[in-house]
Formats: sequence, structure tokens, C-alpha cells
Amino acid sequence: MDLIKEMISWLPSLMRGARITISLTLVSVAAGIILGLFLALGKISKNRVLNKICSGYIFFFRGTPLLMQLYFIYYSLPQINPALTINNRFMAAFIAFTLNSGAYSAEIIRSAIQSIDKGQREAAKALGMSYSQTMRLVIIPQSFRRLIPPLGNEYIMVLKDVSLVSIIALTDITKVTKSLSSTTASPWPYVPAMIIYLIITAVFQYVFNKLENKFSVYD
Amino acid sequence: MPMIKTENLSKSFGALDVLKNCNLSVEQGEVVVIIGPSGAGKSTFLRSLNHLETINHGKIWVEGKLLDDRVNSVNQVKLSHEESTAILLEMGMVFQRFNLFPHKTVLENVMLAPIHVRKYPADKAETIAKALIQKVGLSDKVDEYPSRLSGGQQQRVAIARALAMQPKIMLFDEPTSALDPELVGEVLNVMKELAAEGMTMVCVTHEMGFAKEVADRVIFMYNGEILEDATPAEIFTAPKHEKTQTFLKSILNA
Ligand SMILES: Nc1ncnc2c1ncn2[C@@H]1O[C@H](COP(=O)(O)OP(=O)(O)OP(=O)(O)O)[C@@H](O)[C@H]1O
Ligand SMILES: [Mg+2]
Repeated sequence: MDLIKEMISWLPSLMRGARITISLTLVSVAAGIILGLFLALGKISKNRVLNKICSGYIFFFRGTPLLMQLYFIYYSLPQINPALTINNRFMAAFIAFTLNSGAYSAEIIRSAIQSIDKGQREAAKALGMSYSQTMRLVIIPQSFRRLIPPLGNEYIMVLKDVSLVSIIALTDITKVTKSLSSTTASPWPYVPAMIIYLIITAVFQYVFNKLENKFSVYD
Repeated sequence: MPMIKTENLSKSFGALDVLKNCNLSVEQGEVVVIIGPSGAGKSTFLRSLNHLETINHGKIWVEGKLLDDRVNSVNQVKLSHEESTAILLEMGMVFQRFNLFPHKTVLENVMLAPIHVRKYPADKAETIAKALIQKVGLSDKVDEYPSRLSGGQQQRVAIARALAMQPKIMLFDEPTSALDPELVGEVLNVMKELAAEGMTMVCVTHEMGFAKEVADRVIFMYNGEILEDATPAEIFTAPKHEKTQTFLKSILNA
């Protein structure tokens, strides 16, 4: 009984942490999707320079640890040039997660675009549509439905990756839980914390299932 | 002046020569049917006309305007993107597999290019689209998605979609080959109606009945070459080339 009361007393701090975790996940992945769309279009474009830049970007951000990218942006950039100092920790984390998630979203978007039947592109071209009209009106809208499951997955992955921000002393759920556990010398803060993660994951899954159904009306 | 004229049109995929010096001229209002065995280059020829494939050598005129004059794939004709698009828009194309936009309704499929390419206001595009959908007999399906239609209905929508751009020439690449036999007739009827209205048409098809009844000329392609170019009566009763004879025998006995 006492334990339950104690857990309830931890909830306000955990919820403050959850606010950071959720908002950082939502805005970073959303910005990452926009970045990823441009990277994907660049990677499939026939322009060799653009192609190389986008492929290189994606390779770099998927090929190095996120933790290291976060450290580098927050601690090392200011050493290189003080003008690159990001004082706001949330902002630093947002930048790191967006840059990283953009690389993953780019691959998701690219493969969805490339999975659309080549006949669609040909039909659009035969009707006189330009490349950008074809992408905007025909290909990208059809790729939405194929994008939703993997992008939903990306949200869930980032939700958990966000726990890395404790290393730049941003108080997300994980950071709060660790502090509670050490100040109370109790292992139990982890239980409500994990339940909160599971609830957020379940909400994400629910929303993405709904979206998938919404974009499936035409078949 | 021919609506379409090609001179020594050649195309290869790597080491494979798919079209070899093809010469064809199609007059206004003519219906030309292209026949030939699989792999002869019929689709490639049609697709070269509207730039879905890039030819390596040869010339293409559309309505007397020189669109391509290629030497080693480089076009000697310098047209701006707008100029070549304007010429290409004179040709509408219908594909074997329909290629309707699955995320758009029938009406939206037909209106999309008139609005975005022709820049017609939505109400004008809708009027044109509805008239064409009615013409192909699908007025009761305007708000359906393509997945809810039969193959024959989808192909009729695809024809309406191409016509909505008001082309002067229609290219058909085996428009009935993907259809169940009982649905072939409804598509051929729409094509016959178009022919009767005087549309210039180039059709790749295995429907010999259609060729006999509607075609002004039948072209026999074999191994990348145009081997024979004659009236249906000549081709079907007295084919000159031995390859044509063999081909006709094989499909008439099939
Ligand atoms: N994109 C491509 N890349 C390489 N080879 C190709 C390509 N498209 C066609 N070919 C080859 O070119 C030749 C002609 O093909 P095409 O599709 O024009 O023939 P077709 O006469 O239309 O045949 P079918 O009756 O089977 O449709 C074939 O040998 C084919 O394998
Ligand atoms: Mg073919």
C-alpha cells in the first residue's frame, strides 16, 4: 500500500519528464520526416551532385552512433567555434534527433517512392506532367500508405532513443526516474516509468493504425 | 502533311538493337494497327514516339513539326521543354495495364492532367471529364476508385483520361491484352467509335478482327524492323513476307 502511495507521489515529476520525452519525439520525428523527404528526393534524383550529398548525409547519420552525434553537437561544436554553442538543451537535442531521424526517414520515404509501379510515372509523363507534378500529385500521395507503418515504427524507436538526452542533463522520463531512484534509494521508480513508456507507445500505435486505415480507402 | 512520320528510327537497349531504321507515316484520321510477335519492338516503337523511350537515331515529326533528329542519342533539334511538351501533348497513350491513378476517383483521374498541365479551371476540366466519362459509358462510376472497377471499365477510364488532354493522335499499346475475353468487346467498341469520329490512331493489338474492320493500314514488325506496311485486305489475304505468313498462321490458329 505504501509503495503505491509512493509511486503516486512520483507521478508529477515523471509526468514532467514525459512532457519532455513526448514533445522532443514528436517535433524531432516530424521535422525529420520533412528533412527526409528532401533527402529522399535528392537521393533518387538524376543530379549527380545532389545525389552524392544526400547519400553521404544518410550514410553518415545512420553509420555513427546517435549518442556520439548528440555529444558532438552539444559539447564539441562550441569548442570548434563558440558561435556554434547551443545553450538550450532541448534545442540541442531537437537538432541532433532531427538530423538523425531525417536520415532514417529518408530511407523509408525513398523505398516507399521506389516501390510505386513504374507504370504510374509513365502514365503521368504521357499526360504531360512534369517530374515535380508527377511526384507531388501521383507518386508521393500513393506512397503515404506504405510510409505509415515504418514511420510509426520510427516514432517508437525515437521515443526510446530520446532517453539518451540524460547525458546532456535534459530531464526526460529516464533522467527523472534515475534521480528518483537514487534520492529514494529505491528500485521502484522504474515501474511507473516503464508503464508510462508503454502507454505512449500504445497511443502512437493506435494513431498510426487509424492513419493507415484512412489512407487505405481507395483499395 | 502526315500526323506522325518517322525516318530511320533506331533504338537499342545496350547491345540489343530493338528498332532498326523504322520508317512510318500516319495521315490524319488514319487508323494504323501494328502487329508482330512478342519482342518485335512494337511497344518500344510506340513508346519512342511519345518519349517514354529515347531513340538513338532517326527523326520523328508530329504534325509536320520536327520533334527528334537524333544522332548517337543526341537530339539535333533544340526545343525548349515547353515546346517539346506541347508537341508531345498531341499524342495520348493507353497502356496494356491501364495505369490509372489508384488514389484518385474516376473523375479525378480524368481531370488531373487538364487542371495541372493544361491549366484549365476546375469547372471546365470537370465538364470535359464528365462528357468523356459519359462517352465511354461510365457516368454511374464517376466517384468510384479504380480498384472497384472491372478491367474493361478501367481501360475505358484510361481512354477517357487520355482524351481529356484533347490529343490529335491516340497511341494504344495492347489495350485489351490484360482483359478477360468477355471484357475485350467494350474497349474495342470505344476504340471503333473514336476511329469513326476521325481520330488518328496507332494501335498495337492482337485483335485481328479489329484490324480487319477498322484499320486503314496494318504494319507487321519483326525483330525491330517494319517488314510489311499494307492494307488489311492485302496483309490478311496475301501477305508478301514469309515471316508475316508464319505469324498470321500462328495467331489465327491459336
Ligand atoms: N527497358 C528495357 N531494357 C532492356 N530491354 C528491353 C527493354 N524494353 C524492351 N526490351 C527488349 O526489347 C525488345 C522489344 O521489346 P518490346 O516490348 O518493344 O516488344 P513487343 O513487340 O512490344 O513485344 P510484346 O508483344 O511482348 O509486347 C525485347 O527483346 C525486349 O526484351
Ligand atoms: Mg509490347
